[in-house]
Amino acid sequence: MNPFLLNQQRVTRRQFFGKSAAGIGGVALASLLKEDAVAAAVNQMGLPGFPHFAPKAKRVVCMWQGGAPSHVDLFDHKPMLEKMAGQDIPASVRGTTRLSTMTSGASKWPMVPAIKPYQRWGQSGTEITTMMPGIGSIADDICVVRSMNTEAVNHAPGVTFFMTGSQVPGRPSMGAWLSYGLGCESEELPAFVVMTSSDRGRTCGQLFFDYYWGAGFLPSRYQGVRFRNTGDPVPYLQNPPGISRDARRQLLDDINAMNADHLADYGDPEIETRISQYEMAFRMQTSVPGLLDFSNEPKSVLEMYGPDVLTKGSYANNCLIARRLLERGVRFVQIMHSGWDQHGNLFTQLEEQCRDTDLPSSALVKDLKQRGLLDDTLVTWGGEFGRTPFGQGDPNKPTGRDHFGRAYSWWLAGGGVKPGTTYGQTDDFGWNITADPAHVHDMQATIMNLCGINHEAHTFRYQGRQFRLTDVHGSILKGMLA
Amino acid sequence: MRLSPQFLLPLLALASSRAADVEPLSYNRDIRPILSENCFYCHGQDENKRKKDLQLNIQAGQRANDVVVPGKPEASKLVMRLFSSDPEEVMPPANSNRHVSDQQRELLKRWIVEGAVFEEHWAYQAPRRPTVPQVPNFTIRNPIDAFVAQKMAAKGLTFSPEADKVTLLRRLHADLIGLPPRPEEVDAFLADTSPDAYEKAVEHLLASPHYGERMSLPWLDAARFADSNGFQQDGDTHQYIWRDWVVKALNADMPFDQFSTEQLAGDLLPNPTQDQLIATAFNRNHLLNGEGGAIAEEQRNVILFDRVDTTATTWLGLTMACAQCHDHKYDPITQRDYYSMMAMFNNVPESGVPSGGGQYRIADPAITVGTDEENAKLKNLESSLASAREAEQKLAQSPETLAAYEAMEKDLAASTEVAWTSLKPESATSTGDVQLHVQDDLSIFADGPRPDKADYTITLPASLPGLTGFRIETIPDDRLPSKGAGRSDSGNAVLTRLKFTAGAREIKFNAARATYTQAGFTPAGVIDEDVNTAWAFYPETAKPYALTVQTSEAVTLAGNEQMVLTFEFQSPHNQHQFGRFLIQGTSGAQPVGRVALPAEIAAILEKPDRSKEEVAKLREFLVKDHPPAGIAAARALIKSTETSLNDLRNNLPRVMVMSDKQPRQTKMLDRGNYLNPKDDVTAGTPAFLPTPPDGTPKNRLGLAQWLFRPEHPLTARVQANRLWQYFFSTGLVKTSEDLGVQSEVPIHGALVDWLAVEFREHGWSQKHLVRLILNSTTYRQSSRITPDLLQKDPENRLMSRASRFRMPSMVLRDLALSASGLLNPKMGGKPVYPYQPSEVWETLAITKERDFTYPASSGPDLYRRSLYTFWRRTIGPTNIFDASARQACKVRGSLTSTPLHALTTLNDITWVEASRVLAEHAMQQSPDRRVQITWAFRKILARVPTEKDQAMLQRAHEKQLAIFSADPAGAAAFVAVGSAPKSSLPAVDHAALSSVCLLLFNLDESLTRQ
Repeated sequence: MNPFLLNQQRVTRRQFFGKSAAGIGGVALASLLKEDAVAAAVNQMGLPGFPHFAPKAKRVVCMWQGGAPSHVDLFDHKPMLEKMAGQDIPASVRGTTRLSTMTSGASKWPMVPAIKPYQRWGQSGTEITTMMPGIGSIADDICVVRSMNTEAVNHAPGVTFFMTGSQVPGRPSMGAWLSYGLGCESEELPAFVVMTSSDRGRTCGQLFFDYYWGAGFLPSRYQGVRFRNTGDPVPYLQNPPGISRDARRQLLDDINAMNADHLADYGDPEIETRISQYEMAFRMQTSVPGLLDFSNEPKSVLEMYGPDVLTKGSYANNCLIARRLLERGVRFVQIMHSGWDQHGNLFTQLEEQCRDTDLPSSALVKDLKQRGLLDDTLVTWGGEFGRTPFGQGDPNKPTGRDHFGRAYSWWLAGGGVKPGTTYGQTDDFGWNITADPAHVHDMQATIMNLCGINHEAHTFRYQGRQFRLTDVHGSILKGMLA
Repeated sequence: MRLSPQFLLPLLALASSRAADVEPLSYNRDIRPILSENCFYCHGQDENKRKKDLQLNIQAGQRANDVVVPGKPEASKLVMRLFSSDPEEVMPPANSNRHVSDQQRELLKRWIVEGAVFEEHWAYQAPRRPTVPQVPNFTIRNPIDAFVAQKMAAKGLTFSPEADKVTLLRRLHADLIGLPPRPEEVDAFLADTSPDAYEKAVEHLLASPHYGERMSLPWLDAARFADSNGFQQDGDTHQYIWRDWVVKALNADMPFDQFSTEQLAGDLLPNPTQDQLIATAFNRNHLLNGEGGAIAEEQRNVILFDRVDTTATTWLGLTMACAQCHDHKYDPITQRDYYSMMAMFNNVPESGVPSGGGQYRIADPAITVGTDEENAKLKNLESSLASAREAEQKLAQSPETLAAYEAMEKDLAASTEVAWTSLKPESATSTGDVQLHVQDDLSIFADGPRPDKADYTITLPASLPGLTGFRIETIPDDRLPSKGAGRSDSGNAVLTRLKFTAGAREIKFNAARATYTQAGFTPAGVIDEDVNTAWAFYPETAKPYALTVQTSEAVTLAGNEQMVLTFEFQSPHNQHQFGRFLIQGTSGAQPVGRVALPAEIAAILEKPDRSKEEVAKLREFLVKDHPPAGIAAARALIKSTETSLNDLRNNLPRVMVMSDKQPRQTKMLDRGNYLNPKDDVTAGTPAFLPTPPDGTPKNRLGLAQWLFRPEHPLTARVQANRLWQYFFSTGLVKTSEDLGVQSEVPIHGALVDWLAVEFREHGWSQKHLVRLILNSTTYRQSSRITPDLLQKDPENRLMSRASRFRMPSMVLRDLALSASGLLNPKMGGKPVYPYQPSEVWETLAITKERDFTYPASSGPDLYRRSLYTFWRRTIGPTNIFDASARQACKVRGSLTSTPLHALTTLNDITWVEASRVLAEHAMQQSPDRRVQITWAFRKILARVPTEKDQAMLQRAHEKQLAIFSADPAGAAAFVAVGSAPKSSLPAVDHAALSSVCLLLFNLDESLTRQ
């Protein structure tokens, strides 16, 4: 039944009740609050007919690697770059690839080999850099995609493109689409949570914009709730100074009682929604601090996530919070890390970046696995594009790599993803895709598919048009699926 | 063809439905929406996507090949396909994700039975003023009520009773000025029993300066207005100048055609005023991406698309964006139309990316705009400068000056330069580890570290008895930056002081001169103790110069004594120290008094008979370099006035505006990709809409003129509908952003048209339309929902009651400030930075490129209206929820209810401080609890609490009092929240009532405009 009408029927009932009882007393209020659960459920219900089919993944954690990790250094081994180190990438390979203005005017394209050796990992023998032993150790659980590609040239448009399907801000983000379609499972936490972190030195220079987790033209309640790492994790979560939990409870009871009285007078279903939202706010005030309290985590688990795990705002800390959110029924967790933008410090920063993110990333997968959650949790790891196989800076002594969207690498694990495999490949230079391209829209379609959603049918009518995450594109990357 | 049994049965039902007296179907209302949603995607406007060459959006297409045979559903292929049970045949195909319900299929069939009448889309035909219906037994205050009553009567509904006066006044205040009525205003309104008391209240509020503030909010959303650019550096802008323009224009009830024309094309009006230029900032409020490596032309195209889309949504109520890539699927907008519109925005002299570093990043074109005060100051300085220049001119021509020059010429001819001896330093040291080396020519060369500041200490022998001065020669050197004589990157140096110690005594200098001095510096700067005055020699730093100083007495030392010269380089200009220099001494009299002359001038002076040119040259030299004291002072005045003027100008806000100064050839872009240009297009308006008359300029001004032509079908309807939406939360056409084919066909189409024509014929006065709406019975109804109303008019589309909605969060914040008396009603000006949780901006920014520290306001700026809160586009104000993100044009608001909103109004400092200040004021009224509660209640809710309200609030108060009595420290902490002065009231009492005030602010009734 249409939730709007459902709500209205209940209110009509309430109104008769209210009128006959000449207002609502304590007893009536108790019954009203008991119905809260119903009201809350209505409020958080997904769309009728969702999911479209049985989902492989009930929840998603997106480990966003902002700044663009270098695919040729990390996941896509190219011996040719060693062999021809320092020589120009042949023009026949380069073609007319669009590059950022930092290198598009260059006259030299000196190949720079991977800065550290590669190694074959696990039974699957997937080649991954030796700078990432953690991720190497889960090689048999993940699928490395080497054929990601995007049209975006710069960070903000690139991230916006992946998150919303458009390079220009303003459309709903993936998490918003998912929670709009599938609803919220948790009674005390939002369906869509976002956390941010950056590399230690803040060398990267990107900002995190709230439209990366915005609701666009969907109702604003679907936007991601950002857990901050200083102050209250959610703005205004804490009671004002001097207000105890008990004082707040009493005050809420009185607010609810007066609102219930007003509901009896005015008959507007929105008043009932308000009562239920004030109640959920109260529950969030307890559940969020508990969520962030790691005291019950065994030492072995804390160690898995590496030395930064207890540092608030670190990537490792966010990874562990992510697991705890997923356990508590949060549907979409978006960890946004930045620090991969090595234009001029590839040889110093890349390894440091790997060191900070490798253990926590792999620990999250292992931790989910050991709790039996990995089977129905989709884990993604990747950024907005890759980096040029040629060096940036002095052509004789390059110090970094520029943005590169024509081909780059991602990896995924869990819910419905074929483990221990690779998908797609690039030419000898890591420049052109030679098999199974995976465009941003394809990856979006695949993620939606794993969540039980037909990406072509999940649309929202706005300004006279049906909009969807994948615009008018996107094919499911079947070869990647288990 | 196989037909499902369904196909035959309903025909019978149809016959019976026809027999009954049923309103005939309307193509626009009942049929087109079904076809549009399900068929037009493949059988519509877009030629490239069209399947089987079948075009259902035009009558010719429907009638071709028996697709639709009027009166004969059984012969119509449309019906056969819709009802087919053959998966190969059925339309829409199963894989299309479209679904026609049984009921819709029946409607389509009935439409064919009734003759398949085709109508052009209602909104594409010019509105004509409909006849106002006569509806008996309804309170008809103006034609609006007649149209609304007509529809209600048909459904057996009547108007809800009029809302009580207090509710009405609070509603009017919320809608028109966004602030609650003060209790004394409520009392006055209640006391006014004249028949037009309500109308007077409307007039009073329409005339309030706060009207423009409130009404600007939706317009700012449409204009995606923000105080920063978005993207990586998210540079701040000065677009608030435009925000103030909007408020002013709305308050003045600037006619909507003028309001629009100035915003779209103010720069193209004849002799545009500054305000008209400011107005055009509407189309410069877009995002700007200054990220390193951003491709400017790509960004410029993103901006162009944004302008077209925003303009189309705001004035045409059309979604043109679809036509960026292909002909529109539903509306008759072609790709060519899109780029013809874009051509009008494509002549702006802009690069696509903002320039400048630091906090502000402005993309040209922009104009400098000051406040009245700043403008007055500017004017003052300009006139001071003019008079200073005039005075100098006058003085230069005066007999005294001319005489002084002649005397100087004579003097010069007689004087000669003293003899200088190079002094050999005995030691040369420096602070900051600068290494000073004495060269073969006795000059000193500096290398090693380049500290920001340094002092050189040079020890000299007492070899020159009767020393009267020093000559310091700066020597350019290839080893130094810019091959100059200084150590800064430009080769310059700034000597702030030269100190001379002879033996144990410090010797003062009494005069200084130099062969050249950089503008803004002076040789005398080195002999005073002011670190802010100094000598420097930029820009030609690779030339040698000499600085001469004269001692106040002739100095003779004993043989064992030393002279020490200290060169202080302590200016704010870092690393500006001498790189190579030579120290010379003299015992000649008055070394500075004598002028070191350029060779050419010296040569002229030696001639007893000078040619005319030589005389002129000599005079020119003196005028330029050696003016008499009076002239020098006059020039210094000019200089300092110029500096102040430039400083002021550089610090004035620059608002980004439109300009057509860079004509470009616009091309259609394949799939909207700027790298794939196709055919040239010229500026023009969409072909399916009325053609502008000959002589209409093919630019933005022409666009504006065209929008306001009487035959234009959209502009008046779009804005009239939006004004309706302001006061009923839903427009008469629900899809207020889209009046195209996919839009809702309004139940009250006649009312939309009547309002549109009324708007146009009444000089496009928005206040006129607002006044009509607010004075209607329709608006004055109660918003109570009864079971009967819920059943007959569930979504209130028949307007059988007033709408009831949570107020926008900006208004909620203003309500809290106003009720507590904290509100600072100052209007306009720079944005402010009220309370925000710590590190909201800071943690979002992970760049070092600029400082993202939140520059929190203090004092009265904390309490300005929400309209003036700084809007960072990458992260909006934390306590403004459910607002447009101000990234793209948004003309329909969102009013949701989430736990996060509850947390905001319960816990944000804004509301907590407002509660404790309100409680304090209430307690000052009376010691009687009841009076206190009533007083606070009325401040927020306007009405007097009922006995039941009182009882509940008293009980709530008792509970809070008990809690705080047990926790006096908590009470003290609670009543100390916020920067407002702390009260001297007993904390426990104060806290308990503050809690009750917080409760009051959080009541549904308080948050709602009802």
